[in-house]
Amino acid sequence: MTTSFSLALPGGQTLGHIGRRLGGLGLALLLPAAMLYLWQLAATHEWVTPLLLPAPAMVLQALVDLHDSGELWEHLGISLGRVGWGYLAGVVLGLVLGAAMGLSKTVEAYLMPSFKAVSLVPVLGWLPLFIMLIGIEEGLKVLIIAKAVIVPVTINTVKGIRNIAPGHFEVARIYRFSPLQTLTRLIVPSALPSLATGLRLGLANAWMALVAVELLAASEGVGFLMVHSRQLFQLDMVMASMVVIGVTGWVLDRILQSIEQRLLAWRVTAY
Amino acid sequence: MISRTRLLTRRLILAGLAASVLAPIAALAADAPKVIRIGLPLVGTGNRPVGGSWNFATVQIKGSLEQEFKADGIRIEWNNFKGAGPALNEAIANKLIDVFAIGDLPGIVGKASGLKTKIIAADNRRYAYAIGVPADSQARSIEDLKGKKLAIFKGTAIQLGFGKFLSRHGLSEKDFKIINMDSNTATAALATKDVDALFTAPSALYPLEDRGVAKVIYNERHDPAAANDRGQAYVVATEDFEKAHPEVVQRIVNVLVREAAWSADEKNRSALLQLWAKSGTPFSAYRRDYEGQGFKEALSPLLDEEFVANIQRNVSESQKLKLVRGSVDAAGWVDRKYLDAALKSNGLTNFWTPLDAGGKPKK
Repeated sequence: MTTSFSLALPGGQTLGHIGRRLGGLGLALLLPAAMLYLWQLAATHEWVTPLLLPAPAMVLQALVDLHDSGELWEHLGISLGRVGWGYLAGVVLGLVLGAAMGLSKTVEAYLMPSFKAVSLVPVLGWLPLFIMLIGIEEGLKVLIIAKAVIVPVTINTVKGIRNIAPGHFEVARIYRFSPLQTLTRLIVPSALPSLATGLRLGLANAWMALVAVELLAASEGVGFLMVHSRQLFQLDMVMASMVVIGVTGWVLDRILQSIEQRLLAWRVTAY
Repeated sequence: MISRTRLLTRRLILAGLAASVLAPIAALAADAPKVIRIGLPLVGTGNRPVGGSWNFATVQIKGSLEQEFKADGIRIEWNNFKGAGPALNEAIANKLIDVFAIGDLPGIVGKASGLKTKIIAADNRRYAYAIGVPADSQARSIEDLKGKKLAIFKGTAIQLGFGKFLSRHGLSEKDFKIINMDSNTATAALATKDVDALFTAPSALYPLEDRGVAKVIYNERHDPAAANDRGQAYVVATEDFEKAHPEVVQRIVNVLVREAAWSADEKNRSALLQLWAKSGTPFSAYRRDYEGQGFKEALSPLLDEEFVANIQRNVSESQKLKLVRGSVDAAGWVDRKYLDAALKSNGLTNFWTPLDAGGKPKK
């Protein structure tokens, strides 16, 4: 027991040391690197037929081809446009709904149970109804993305406002803040951390909903690229699309994270 | 005690001897598969595992293979893929299928990707497509549908048929809003007018016309310009199965050839369409789909010059439309030995007329 423990400890320490040296990035890349190695191993030994699991080099080549033909940027642009509009609509609606429910107990009493019920029904359930209402074109895609965004944004907005200490409102009253001042100087800054969580969750949801909705009915976009490549038995293209979808989602999250850090910078210095 | 032990030893030796003599015989018997796994890219309405239009569909509905292999205790396992050819290709790559029938595009895509298979007979080689629009649509031709929502089932033979159709009219997929849908979803979407048009098999559209929700504005079968652009389906065996069980493959081809001969007889036409109607597509829809098309020609199993030339042409069409990477040598893909033996043993050697590369009877 003791030996194995003392053996494990220095090992862990060195690993942690190296990790610190290389920064967070090194540690973050450890798992993907291991997966990549396993994938390459599986490909060279043909544990799975290359028809279904192409080698990493083939997937890289597919990515290069997609880039060279311009197809990648065309599809990605269309997908990002859909996410942009859906996200914008979802955020605006989510903030309004969340603020209304957060600020007024009455509004919450009226809306929250229905909101919860609606948000718990998966997108696939709404699809036939949505198609009947607005057809299967761009509007449907934007609507489904917006719906995926509204839920986390609303809930985190409500939570952010609810968690403001009641004392802060008393101080605001003593200083005779106008309602606008209360909003800009108290509510928004206090609720910002929770709001930011909602916005980031919303973006992650938007990106996942996009891929789902492009799988269903579309003729362009990265989700479509993935499904169409599968129809044509081009699994390297499928995996290349998966890489593009994963990397794009990660980049979008990083962008939002850096915006969040900038906006919350005052909080860090305050401590 | 000793004698007993000796007796036992002697018995053991005898048993061992017997086993060593009998083992090869047992192995020979075990050589026959317990099950033949068949893949078909056909489903009926409501995705029931029954199709129509293909000779292999007739064989499935009649249970002819079950009959052929019943005495040997070999089970027939049918796999009807609602995801059609693309789903079938994945199952073949996963080694889940032994013998299958497949249409033009997915067949070529699978072979070009490196699936190890051999074509052992032709199936329906006179496949035509049609365009349906909602009943109140103003569209009268493909030109009227430019910029509109048009549904096709991508990755299947329909996409290649559509590509060839568009080339004849100097159009491309970019002239439309193409929506990818499987056959049953697409017919539902046309009925609810969620799409402005549907390009698919005529037999899938006529029932909608009969219900008054759609009309067929174009049927390739009546278009002289499309006479040489018919879709083809073929029967294929995986090389693994074909090498391990050539005698089983031979018996499957025997059955296919006998059924094709039965269908070729015009007096069986109604009976054949009745069988196909078990897929849920009505008898009348098949009757209109194949109006003026004899089944002796459509279901001829011959791997003749026309058949090989059509595959080669479809390979280059698919390459032009960027639907396939790599290439396929049609002549090297076809293996005639089972078909030739089946025709001979069934006395059908001169029953079907071989066609030349231009589709004319070969003298």
